[in-house]
Amino acid sequence: MISKDTKLILDISDLHASVEDQPILQGVNLRVHSGEIHALMGRNGCGKSTLAKILAGHPSYKVTSGQVLFCGQDLLAMEPEERARLGVFLGFQYPIEIPGVSNLEFLRVATNARRQCRGEEELDLFDFEDFVIDRLKIVQMDPAFLERSVNEGFSGGEKKRNEILQMALLEPIVSILDETDSGLDIDALRVVASGVKQLANPDNATLLITHYQRLLNEITPHFVHVMAAGRILRTGGPELALKLEQAGYDWLDDPSLDQEGE
Amino acid sequence: MSSQNPVQEVVSQPYKYGFITDIETEKIDKGINEDVIRLISSKKEEPKFLLEFRLRAYRQWLKMKEPDWAKFGYKSIDYQDIIYYAAPKKDQKKASLDEVDPKLLETFDKLGIPLSEQKRLSNVAVDAVFDSVSIATTYKEKLAESGVIFCSIGEAVNEYPDLVEKYLGTVVPSNDNFFAALNSAVFSDGSFVFIPKDVQCPMELSSYFRINSGDIGQFERTLIIAEERSSVSYLEGCTAPMFDTNTLHAAVVELVALDDSSIKYSTVQNWYSGNEEGIGGIYNFVTKRGHCRGDRSKISWSQVETGSAITWKYPSCVLQGQDSVGEFYSVALTNNLQKADTGTKMLHVGPRTRSTIVSKGISAGNSTNSYRGLVQMGPKAKGARNYSQCDSMLIGDQAAANTYPYIRSQQTEANIEHEASTCRISEDQLFYLQSRGVGQEEAVSMMVSGFCRDVFNQLPMEFAAEADKLLALKLEGSVG
Amino acid sequence: MSAPEWLVSLPAPYGVLESVQRRGRQYLASLGLPDFAEESWRLCDLARLEALLKLPVSSQQTDVHDYGQDKWPRPQSESLRVVLDPFRDPLESISLPNGITPLTSEELEQTLGHTLDVCECNATWPIAINHACAMNVLALKVDGSDLPPLELVINARPSELSATRVVLVLEENARLDLLQVVLGSRHSAHSHLLEIHLGQEASLNHGWVALGGGDASLMAHLAVEQETRSNYELTSVQQGWLFGRLEPRLVQVNGQAKTVLRGLQIASKSEQLATHSFVRFDGPEGDLDQLQKAVASDSSHSIFNGAIDVPRAAQRTNAAQLSRNLLLSGRARIDTKPELQIVADDVRCAHGATVSQLQQDELFYMRSRGISSDRSMKLLLQGYCQEIIKCLPINGERWTLLDQLVSV
Repeated sequence: MISKDTKLILDISDLHASVEDQPILQGVNLRVHSGEIHALMGRNGCGKSTLAKILAGHPSYKVTSGQVLFCGQDLLAMEPEERARLGVFLGFQYPIEIPGVSNLEFLRVATNARRQCRGEEELDLFDFEDFVIDRLKIVQMDPAFLERSVNEGFSGGEKKRNEILQMALLEPIVSILDETDSGLDIDALRVVASGVKQLANPDNATLLITHYQRLLNEITPHFVHVMAAGRILRTGGPELALKLEQAGYDWLDDPSLDQEGE
Repeated sequence: MSSQNPVQEVVSQPYKYGFITDIETEKIDKGINEDVIRLISSKKEEPKFLLEFRLRAYRQWLKMKEPDWAKFGYKSIDYQDIIYYAAPKKDQKKASLDEVDPKLLETFDKLGIPLSEQKRLSNVAVDAVFDSVSIATTYKEKLAESGVIFCSIGEAVNEYPDLVEKYLGTVVPSNDNFFAALNSAVFSDGSFVFIPKDVQCPMELSSYFRINSGDIGQFERTLIIAEERSSVSYLEGCTAPMFDTNTLHAAVVELVALDDSSIKYSTVQNWYSGNEEGIGGIYNFVTKRGHCRGDRSKISWSQVETGSAITWKYPSCVLQGQDSVGEFYSVALTNNLQKADTGTKMLHVGPRTRSTIVSKGISAGNSTNSYRGLVQMGPKAKGARNYSQCDSMLIGDQAAANTYPYIRSQQTEANIEHEASTCRISEDQLFYLQSRGVGQEEAVSMMVSGFCRDVFNQLPMEFAAEADKLLALKLEGSVG
Repeated sequence: MSAPEWLVSLPAPYGVLESVQRRGRQYLASLGLPDFAEESWRLCDLARLEALLKLPVSSQQTDVHDYGQDKWPRPQSESLRVVLDPFRDPLESISLPNGITPLTSEELEQTLGHTLDVCECNATWPIAINHACAMNVLALKVDGSDLPPLELVINARPSELSATRVVLVLEENARLDLLQVVLGSRHSAHSHLLEIHLGQEASLNHGWVALGGGDASLMAHLAVEQETRSNYELTSVQQGWLFGRLEPRLVQVNGQAKTVLRGLQIASKSEQLATHSFVRFDGPEGDLDQLQKAVASDSSHSIFNGAIDVPRAAQRTNAAQLSRNLLLSGRARIDTKPELQIVADDVRCAHGATVSQLQQDELFYMRSRGISSDRSMKLLLQGYCQEIIKCLPINGERWTLLDQLVSV
């Protein structure tokens, strides 16, 4: 492992979940420690995005059994905002556009909610602006985006940068980035990846959800998990992702792989 | 401008079902009063409950006013100048087709609805209604094997009085509106369908309505009941000869869907629409309503409306059972001086009810084509959803397209979405198609049919092609 | 009180509008109150309309000039603020800038009622009531493009029905920012009638902020006539009236003009707020962009009726209308009805309507950033309203404290 006094941040055990009575997750087990970067890969529809949304508390998904502990606390019992305040961050695959709501105002309210939860002082308008201008550098974002409505009219790359900016402001303990690489050109991908790398430290953890090797060329994960049919089928190091890249997901269909769950 | 508009010129063609069958008809005297109603009832040998139903409706009708909110401005109808009962003279109902007057069979042959054993459509059962009387119903025995009752409503009244009494007037009460009350008082014939529990009706059912006499009113009544977990698809077709007077058609259709059942009701309406000066044609004032009484039940209306001088018709769904579904797919084409005011009402009563409305209006000539619809979310319709789309296509600069979508919500957890657009066939589009070798007429009908695709896709297969053809015919004509 | 009794209680006709008053009263006497059978009154709470007629018409010059004025936002340094009341000459002690002049009595005679005629709205009830009791008219001619913005404030007169009337003529190429503010409080009732004539290439950015309170009622009719290549933009915000009804009615007399209508009505408690808009294109190549928003909470009722008339002359019209509604309470009600009548074939007309609650995915997005559910809802609602409010000219949002505007 990375350092001696790592902490167990996320402990997912035998998680089953469904949407509209359709089972999606069928026994997911995953442990994430501080200082680790995990990559979760799999075909479309294997349940990886569902897992991300469940961890963030999306109301459309129903957990039917299993448990998720976040720093020892029962994550599933919490409201979405409680999770965020305690340090769970979900980077959305499709960040929502919210017309009329100022991006700056939104970022400030969110940042202060997290700060208050950590026992830090809330930032007033001026201090917050300084703070946000500083953080903008991480994602090389134009301050003009602060004046606009949340994600409204942003290009795909701008939306993803805005997600990473939020991550930079909220300083989460675990960041779950759902297909953050999708729809990005190579330059935008590098900016986003470098942002993620800058924000990773020995006290936090990152879970990258991705379909392709592309993002993993930029950020080398400590662990790679492959999901299929609602379960984690295989776990390995970075070489597993490379193998997938070469052999494609069909390689997983080989029945001899089935027994290797954890 | 209109004379140079090729699209405009393509849309007129003579009505091809305008012939009159020369057959001896038994008619009663013109006019309406309680004696006339008693006479109709006795001619049809009806049980007492039905006579009472009729008389009650008549008394209510007397107190009602003819609606004028759609502002059609037609000359008011003299209800004493209409004949309320007419039937081919020979014995009305035949035991077998061989006994039906060959002239009648020929009529339906000519209309493209062959009834005789050799020619009839293999997977469609037909109830043929000529003026006030059902003259034949095909495949009755075969349907009976699976427990499906398909017959004229006159027959049903005598053979299944309990069913009729249980359901008649429960969806459209006799005092629902002026024309429904009139229909309830004097209805002549129509179809009755009963699908028992757990039965998927093995074939398409179809009624074909033919008005032959010029001075009679047609007041048919259709009642369809789908019991638990059953399903049925039903189609009605209509034509009438050309007369220079206006004939009144005031039908009532009631559908009842119980738990997990589904009824699909399609209409291809091609009543005579009057000539280019607007003389003659049918006044089509129809009340159609389906009641999704059971949970998870579904009622789907599809209609292709091309005929009638004036159409006043809003096939509706009362979505009472939870998770029930209502659908309305409509194409209405108007030309010359036709006026169509059509649409639907989706009344969401139960939780999680869903409805979809797709309406396509095409107006040509001096016609007026209006969509009028109501989507209502009641206080208990938690989680209900509606999506409506109404598109209008204008052909020529004298045609009018109006859209009046009424939306009312009293439920926070309900979603209503309405979209509408207006377009025309542009010269550029026409030119593009023509430059690829498509003839002008064909190009216009291609575009119209593309415009209507969403609706045609909903029609039973046998009739989708027919509807497409019907529109093409309506649009056919000389290209100048 | 029935309409005839109320008519008898009115002061005898006098002043510049004397003949108008007679006409209005005659009309009301013959017309009586509107009833449900009329489409545009179908959903109206007629009892409230009747209650409005129980109020005495302002009949004396009470000094309400200062009432609540200390709470008003200060005028923008550049702008001209005129306070309208039914009696006082609004222009006394005000020096009009170059380019804005009162209409002469000849000009007034020619202009008064002209736009109403063009818009074919002389025979409607809210106009008749204004005709019957407005004693005064502010009539201004605007010429030139470098003019200070104009703020017209109508204050509340508690327990009275006050009628005000304005005529505004924008000459060719004139350009003006106009913000109208109507304030209501305890049992006050307003009847307001505005006629605007926009000459060729004239441009008016019009804000309408109507903030009620208590049991206040408001009936306002804005008639606008646009000549070719003119620009008219209306941003209206309506909130807090027990009975509020706004009727923007607009005609592009020769088409080829541009119209933008934005509306927001925020209904709470047991309020009934209605907007009945009507736009007609009497010539080709007109352009309309309309966005109407409504929020209904508690046991309020929000009504929108948006008529668009595109007759044969209006080829190549481009009209878009969108009605977006938020229903926040199970006791509230929303009725919305676009109404399109089109007789021209070469037009692009689209309209849409939605009724829903706040978007769940937007709420979730905000909550996933640690913002509480209540706060998220409030932010979303404010954002929803802000989209309209931010378009008010002359910083009109100063009048509406967004925080008070929406409360969850």
